[in-house]
Amino acid sequence: MKESFFRSMTWMHTWVGLLVCWLLYLIFFAGTVSFFRDEITLWNQPALHNVQAPEQRVAQQRSQIISGINYLQNAGPESTRWGIYLPTERKPQLNYAYEKPRPEGKRFGGWQEHNINPQTGDEIAQTRDTRGGNFFYRLHFDLHYIDVRTARWIVCFASLFMLVALISGVVIHKRIFKDMFSFRANKGSRSWLDGHNVSSVLALPFHIMITYTGLITLIFMLFPYPAMTAYEDGIRGLFNDVSPTNVRTKTSPDSAPLIAIDTILDQVYTNWPDADLTQISIRDPNKASATITVRADTASLVRDQTPTLLFNGVDGSLIAKTAAQLTNTEVFYDSLTALHTGRLANPLLRWLYFLCGVAGCVMIATGCIMWAKRIRERMKKDQPATIGLKLVEGLNLATLMGLPLATCAFFIANRLLPMTTPERADKEILAFFVTWLAVALFALFKRARPQWILLAWINGIACISVPVINALTTNGNLISYLLNGQWALFSFDLMCLVFAALFVIQAKKIPTHTPAKTPQQRARRSAKTKLQEQS
Amino acid sequence: MHAQSIKNSQTLSIRSKLSQAYQAHAYCFAVISRFFAAIVGGYTFTAVFTALLSIILPLKKSDAVLLSISLTILVYSCVFIWAFAVKSLPKIWITILLTTSGCALILSLLKGWL
Repeated sequence: MKESFFRSMTWMHTWVGLLVCWLLYLIFFAGTVSFFRDEITLWNQPALHNVQAPEQRVAQQRSQIISGINYLQNAGPESTRWGIYLPTERKPQLNYAYEKPRPEGKRFGGWQEHNINPQTGDEIAQTRDTRGGNFFYRLHFDLHYIDVRTARWIVCFASLFMLVALISGVVIHKRIFKDMFSFRANKGSRSWLDGHNVSSVLALPFHIMITYTGLITLIFMLFPYPAMTAYEDGIRGLFNDVSPTNVRTKTSPDSAPLIAIDTILDQVYTNWPDADLTQISIRDPNKASATITVRADTASLVRDQTPTLLFNGVDGSLIAKTAAQLTNTEVFYDSLTALHTGRLANPLLRWLYFLCGVAGCVMIATGCIMWAKRIRERMKKDQPATIGLKLVEGLNLATLMGLPLATCAFFIANRLLPMTTPERADKEILAFFVTWLAVALFALFKRARPQWILLAWINGIACISVPVINALTTNGNLISYLLNGQWALFSFDLMCLVFAALFVIQAKKIPTHTPAKTPQQRARRSAKTKLQEQS
Repeated sequence: MHAQSIKNSQTLSIRSKLSQAYQAHAYCFAVISRFFAAIVGGYTFTAVFTALLSIILPLKKSDAVLLSISLTILVYSCVFIWAFAVKSLPKIWITILLTTSGCALILSLLKGWL
């Protein structure tokens, strides 16, 4: 495209990156937050804060399943789907759910959920209607307010651009090792470039891995063609071939008693003697076509496909089970997805995932700031800014500062909205988007340094107010979490404070005015950079 | 002499403006064309190529499909970068069209669609 490969790649890196950087920031931000999806859901549900997982978690699973079936038999005998979600290491409560009657023309009626305290067996009252961490998880690839399929295509293309920008970024980075250790502060766009380099290079394997595997998670939508070519019935055929437990029987209108769950559980524990079960789902309970699916934890294996057993719900026979041994290709494919979702991560690794995700956000943020800075530096003194530059600067301020503020608004709304608000979960999400919109409108009018400082202060205050409001509206606070060893909640509040501190530092560090450079200084500087480039 | 040169420079400036405008658009067109080649051309080539790959890989059917699916993104991003690395735009389009139709031809012969 340009004279040399190097220059073409630089050109492409800049434009491919700039086109999608704000969307990528949203995707990276939401994705990074979603690594703590279960923990955020817990934080958003104060009624569950004092629920403690039973000490003998795995040993109690059998009795929990049996009482779950009894509960659902009473609560929703007519329902088309039941689910029993057992407590895990990250989720203390036991959850029984059944599908609500489907509205005309809908394929799913939504879950009616019951949270149970696993230690007492009582239903937990006063749970609030909230999406919790699932909001960020869905935002990460479904966006919001737009059609899911369209959203996923948009996200896929942004990710593809990200991958291309990453690869070209490595190509154009001549001194990849040397620059890893150089950070030249207070040097205008040079500092932003250093920041961009440090955050990119330090976590480069993560960035490439997470982008590639992210695309793999949506691959059946993006590239269904290999499956369509090889199988008569396309993707369905592939799924049935790879996971035999995927078979779906037709719903029968005839009723038939559900088999005693004990019979099923006996078979489960014969197949998997020390299984750590996670989920029992029952389709068409009390019908002739009933099936029971039992899923176990993958533990810390790099696998995303959970070990599954599928039983006939009437006679109790085993219909299918996942293969104990995967082929090499299956392992390869499955591990790609597993690496992305990070379900395998123990707490330490999860924090590493989170930190790398933050580095990714910093990489994208510094990248889009740098573009605007460079243009500004090259402009002559009284030269008016072009529409394009204004747009980029506005989007930078709106996205980079708006998204954290919107996230704080989401958590604050979770605590402050009255419990009886109709469609409460949607209102929390509304708070998120209204805050973001407000910042965007603000950025439409003014987007210079003072506005960055102002928004950094507002973000800092918002971050502090999250744990403060939490302490005021619930029984727990940062100190009690520390004393009781409630690490998930403690870390959540602590992270709010850490981010508050970062925003305050940011507000303090942004210079209020540019020191006007004398021509001599400028000449000296360019001579210096020339020297550096030569060496 | 002097007046003529002013006239000359005026016509020159109009001409150069016109050609500049044309060049600006030509550049714009070239960039759009290149992005189009990278995104749509790359997508089509990857789709056909990996579809072909899924039936010629000497593996179990499901394995062949999973492997080709896992490689799609690698192929796509390589084509994308290549489309920006090559200087000549016609060369990109011709290469993409030829390789894609070549793969499509082999694929349809193997599947007996023709």
